[in-house]
Amino acid sequence: MKDFLFYDCNCRLGAGSAGEACLPDVQTLVSEMDYYGVGKALIRHTNIIKGALTNNERISEFLHEDKEQRLCGVWCILPSQCDEIPAPDVFFSQMKAARVGAVTLSPFEHRYVPCRLTLSKILDAAAERKVPVLLDAFAGKWAELYAFMKEFPRLTCIYLESVGKWGSDRNLRPLLENYEGFHMDTAGYWVPEGIRDLAEKYGARRILYGSGLPRYNHGNGMLQLRHNGLSEEDSALIAGENLNRLLKGAEL
Amino acid sequence: MKNSIWKKPGSIAEAYWQHGHADFPVYDMHGHMGSHYAIYFKRCEPADVVAHLKRAGVKRLVFSHHEVLWGGLRNQKAYEMCRQFPEHLRMYVGINPHFPEYIREDLAKFEQWAPYAVGLKFLAGYHKIAVNDKAYQYALDFAQERGLPVLNHTWGGCPFNGGPIMLEVAQKYPEAKFFMGHSIYGDWEYARKVVTESPGNVWLELTAIPGERGIIEMLVEAVGSERILYGTDMPWFDEFQGIGGVLSAKISEDDMRNILYRNAERILGENW
Repeated sequence: MKDFLFYDCNCRLGAGSAGEACLPDVQTLVSEMDYYGVGKALIRHTNIIKGALTNNERISEFLHEDKEQRLCGVWCILPSQCDEIPAPDVFFSQMKAARVGAVTLSPFEHRYVPCRLTLSKILDAAAERKVPVLLDAFAGKWAELYAFMKEFPRLTCIYLESVGKWGSDRNLRPLLENYEGFHMDTAGYWVPEGIRDLAEKYGARRILYGSGLPRYNHGNGMLQLRHNGLSEEDSALIAGENLNRLLKGAEL
Repeated sequence: MKNSIWKKPGSIAEAYWQHGHADFPVYDMHGHMGSHYAIYFKRCEPADVVAHLKRAGVKRLVFSHHEVLWGGLRNQKAYEMCRQFPEHLRMYVGINPHFPEYIREDLAKFEQWAPYAVGLKFLAGYHKIAVNDKAYQYALDFAQERGLPVLNHTWGGCPFNGGPIMLEVAQKYPEAKFFMGHSIYGDWEYARKVVTESPGNVWLELTAIPGERGIIEMLVEAVGSERILYGTDMPWFDEFQGIGGVLSAKISEDDMRNILYRNAERILGENW
């Protein structure tokens, strides 16, 4: 079997505020990536729950330090009505200039309701422009995630697990079945040969390799994917090509 | 990729990356069988489980049947499953303290179930009776008299199978061999104490830990790899994920071998 590019879609960088495990800087992250053979990573800030805008700035600084350009950034959005983030056109052009390729949101920590009233301006624009939206804040919050997806069914989005590892097919499969832009990452999805089962049922294009760093390391999920029984083509899609395609497809 | 752990010539990681197995048998010391109310399993019956074990170079899985633990099936059923796959399956006799007559009847068959029955399984956190309660005494005496392994579901802070209770029981039954399933997850100080303050009869078992960054390294540092066993909760967790978690921990290859097979062979022999 050929080796393929691993492009990690679930990776947090920077220090947290509560002493949680962290990778403090770009050099440490790149060293970990090299140790396990991960080529690229989409990074969001560990401490984003404690400040969307300040940590967007820090992500920009990290990307500036990344001279080899192996990292792509994630910025956090907020409701439009308080003018904390600019209009979508401006926000997306700022993202492009900073080498930021995707957005995330943290409504439960930033204390707002994730619905059309609060987010329709920015997320309708994201859906139109196919900007990937990371759904890490909804990990394990299935009722909230279901309500959110009903509000924004056309999003290109990636559900990132960070809570459980005890298999969530009963909750994940209805989302994969009903929302064609819904994708999921592999971190914490440890079901025996389950990646292959999902790929056969919903298509390998819906699944992305994610490490869950720094809670998890890169290696366990890499070996799981390599020997999941998928074709080389499908394995390559999940390992990195899908994320590459989603990021390149975004019209920033 | 070329300088990664997977490409280090002659390494265990390279062997697994290239071939999906290494030059040794892996023993998965924590498994189950059958469906479970809380999850959808596509592969949870013996034929599918064994096929997965074979793909990952796992020689033996020691399991307790979910339904036995809930009281809906008897251990005889697990024995029959083992007989269908004698090369790969071994069983823990599931102990549910709410069914004392089942405990006595099933343990009376323990010798008849050789070589498939290798120990007992307690799931105190779910059965809501602490392991030091008299409800377990018959089973613990049984294990003590025979020097049997007892795999316990353990979890940090649990009032039924947390660190202090497990240390007390391990000290009280020095001939029984206690496998601390999940290594008293989260209470890493007690994970260390149950090994270092017991009379040499405790091993930490890794289910749910491989892949968690830095935890295996910390446990190896705390108790030594000779005291750690590999397990997956199969059919909950993929064998390649679990083995990948051990191989991607920053420990020596000697440590990896101890965890994946040597320790099980030291306890149960090479042909069990």
